[in-house]
Amino acid sequence: MSFYSLAIKLTQCLVALSLLPGLLVAQAGSRQPYESTYKPMAVDDFVITGANVYTGSGEFFENTDVVVRQGRIAAIGGRSDEMSMDAISMDGLRQVDGAGMWLSPGLIDVHSHLGTYPSPAISSTQDGNEMTSPNTARVWVEHSVWPQDPQFDLALAGGVTTLQILPGSGNLFGGRGVTLKNVPARTVQEMKFPGAKHSLKMACGENPKRVYGGKSLAPSTRMGNVAGYREAWAKAQAYQRKWAAYREDDSKPQPDRDLGLETLVGVLEGEIIVHNHCYRADEMAYMIDIAQEFGYRIGTFHHAIEAYKVADLLAQEGICSAMWADWWGVKLELFDGVQQNVALVHQAKACAIVHSDSALGIQRLNQEASKALTSARRMGMNISKAEAMQWITLNAATALGMGEETGSIEVGKAADIVLWDDDPFSVYAHAQKVFIDGHLYYDKQDATRQPRSDFELGQTVGGLR
Amino acid sequence: MKLANRLGLLGMVVACFSLNINTYAETVVITQVNLHSQNNDGYRFGDHLTTSVVVKDGRIVALGSDVQIPAGAQVVSGKGLVMTPGLFAAYSQLGLDEIGLEASTVDSMLDDTGYGPAFDVQYAINDESVVIDVTRVEGVTHAIVAPRVGPDPLAGFGAAISLSSPSTLLQPRVAMFGQVGSNIAAKVGGSRAEVIARLRRGLEDLRGFRAARYQAEPKQYSRYDMVALKQAVDNKLPFVITVHRANEIRQVLSLAQQYNLNLVVRGGTEAWKVADELAQAGIAVILDPLNNLPRSFDRLGARNDNATLLVQAGVKIAIVVSNPHNIRLLRQHAGNAVAHGLDWNVALRAITRTPVEIFGLDDSLGKIAVGGPATFVLWQGDPLEVTTWPTKVMLDGEWVDPRSRQVRLFERYRDLSAGGGQR
Repeated sequence: MSFYSLAIKLTQCLVALSLLPGLLVAQAGSRQPYESTYKPMAVDDFVITGANVYTGSGEFFENTDVVVRQGRIAAIGGRSDEMSMDAISMDGLRQVDGAGMWLSPGLIDVHSHLGTYPSPAISSTQDGNEMTSPNTARVWVEHSVWPQDPQFDLALAGGVTTLQILPGSGNLFGGRGVTLKNVPARTVQEMKFPGAKHSLKMACGENPKRVYGGKSLAPSTRMGNVAGYREAWAKAQAYQRKWAAYREDDSKPQPDRDLGLETLVGVLEGEIIVHNHCYRADEMAYMIDIAQEFGYRIGTFHHAIEAYKVADLLAQEGICSAMWADWWGVKLELFDGVQQNVALVHQAKACAIVHSDSALGIQRLNQEASKALTSARRMGMNISKAEAMQWITLNAATALGMGEETGSIEVGKAADIVLWDDDPFSVYAHAQKVFIDGHLYYDKQDATRQPRSDFELGQTVGGLR
Repeated sequence: MKLANRLGLLGMVVACFSLNINTYAETVVITQVNLHSQNNDGYRFGDHLTTSVVVKDGRIVALGSDVQIPAGAQVVSGKGLVMTPGLFAAYSQLGLDEIGLEASTVDSMLDDTGYGPAFDVQYAINDESVVIDVTRVEGVTHAIVAPRVGPDPLAGFGAAISLSSPSTLLQPRVAMFGQVGSNIAAKVGGSRAEVIARLRRGLEDLRGFRAARYQAEPKQYSRYDMVALKQAVDNKLPFVITVHRANEIRQVLSLAQQYNLNLVVRGGTEAWKVADELAQAGIAVILDPLNNLPRSFDRLGARNDNATLLVQAGVKIAIVVSNPHNIRLLRQHAGNAVAHGLDWNVALRAITRTPVEIFGLDDSLGKIAVGGPATFVLWQGDPLEVTTWPTKVMLDGEWVDPRSRQVRLFERYRDLSAGGGQR
């Protein structure tokens, strides 16, 4: 995708967003409130030569050159089915030696709480879950993100270039999530991924009923959970009708804004993607029914411990599952975790994603994908590393609605790429260089290219964490 | 089976009539395996110390490249495989906690009233825990089972277990566990100073302690706690203290020296800053090498190469996993320590042999040697890699059933074409 088409896409997105009733009050022509102010850094064109390339779209090429121009993938050479490097002008291109190294797309974590459950995890920093009502669709998690969380830098050193921050799972409706570029920044707006849709975090199961049932409030049961979702969607439909009527006839008084219902209407109108925390197979099936009843789509089930039990249904519905490689057991709804969950979902031709939900796991998403693959191979399942790479790159980008922009090494896409010193499926691999839109944000060999948050300054860490 | 083994011939007879379907009393030979015995320090991964291993009656009876294969022996080709001792988790709640958020299945802790040195987890260990089953098939054969730290600086006795069933309990009261830091400070009034003071008072009260005459005053340990503390100190049990911040590690070190405690540091996020002092005092550190987050003001100095720096200074380390359900990730954690500079063999040792040394257990554990128990794992590659898996696990001469509950779930749902599940 060219820069122009990206700009067009952005514009389309903003137009679509402006259909949301809340944004009608914003001034036309100026920057929209809360909008991204991220700007790609100006970078010289360069070529990474002779690397082993995981494209993220399911392919692997040995000893291949990748050309980056204006921060985007311009050519992939050394392949029989593409133009050879002889045909690509190398004149004036800075060369980055990739011989004996591996190149992958920047890793993408669709489930993170960085900045909202930062380090240090102390009482004043716990901003990730507004557990004061089972429906907090009105909150936006981006308003909680602390850009100086040192965990962003550690995730960058692990090759993570894009991440979705979600509100916690204590509520039926947790609020809006946000997709960020993992760049050092003073403000959250400088990190917001241009053009990325908001998400809506929903949660099934034990968490909401424990949080509110424990206070003798609704919901205290799973049926209470379902009633809570349905009532909210019914209200959202009524709110949508009220605004539609006003738009048809503006002689009527303008309806009052309701921030929570604006979020739900955004889902009904396809402008906000549903990311649904849900462990059990039977509950996922119910959530699919609820979506059908009210006419919206579920983008991704998160955690999805039992996705393997209904992988066929998930494939049929086109719903992604964002899963762990081996986390299990902390609650009964995680008791049926299996290490082949990711692979079984992949095998069913449903969209499989490996996520972290952890400030530790996000530092080694590559190892998590590797373990998920290894567990499958142990059971005789035949999946290639190149396919498994999709679980932490292109599939994740697609779930965020950004699959055209990032998540794979394909001509036209953003040069969000990682150069590894070993096969990233190895426990011994380190990200050596991490590029976002072609800019080198992290270099393991260069201390000046290792971002450290303000919080870290002056502390006696004494070296790289 | 272990007991039977110890009873010799009588045990053999018992074994013949036991319901256990695994092979026992059979002779097994693993041929041409790449051995990492941990019985001496010489090998590195990739060294091909190819040897054969003969197992009889639950013990290793011969090792070497030219062993005679006894008639009737079960022969397992070890070609291309790596053999290590069974993995040893130096810290866990295996057998104590089944489902973290379901209180009825959690026996590793007491409420605020019950904590103290007298708490002893040995009586709660459930050898049929699914968590043990899931962990064992991944090559973990032994563990220290510890009380979780609670409101008192001392949390009570842990035990050493074998992940066999039913003879799980290997050594009760293997160590005294405790914690120093902000978590405990919050429970004792708010200051870290009071945590150290409380420990010091308890140890001071031991001087001249007579159980029959002792009457606890407010803020003093109960008689039962004092008896437990005395037992731990007198028997030189390891005092495994979870402590992270450098200045607090020094405080604990100073207490240990004053009261002659057999201190072991657990956690030790900033232990690298105190590495020389720890090395000089011969204090081992039990750590999770993945914990590089400045997660609290106790742990601002967290870094990935803590293990490496400690070992460079001469400190003995064991590597553990913080997540109690994923003790099976020991080898990934050790692998990550290697990725951050730790010697490969030291890392393997930190999850096999070193825990045996730290906890002063039977010297035959955690290594592969003639005369020792046949407890080992066959791997199809580097055991510290995330791309490998154990092909077979032997525990005290028995092959471990590889079909854990999780494997059975996988088998039930691997093919959904028949409608899913097998109900």
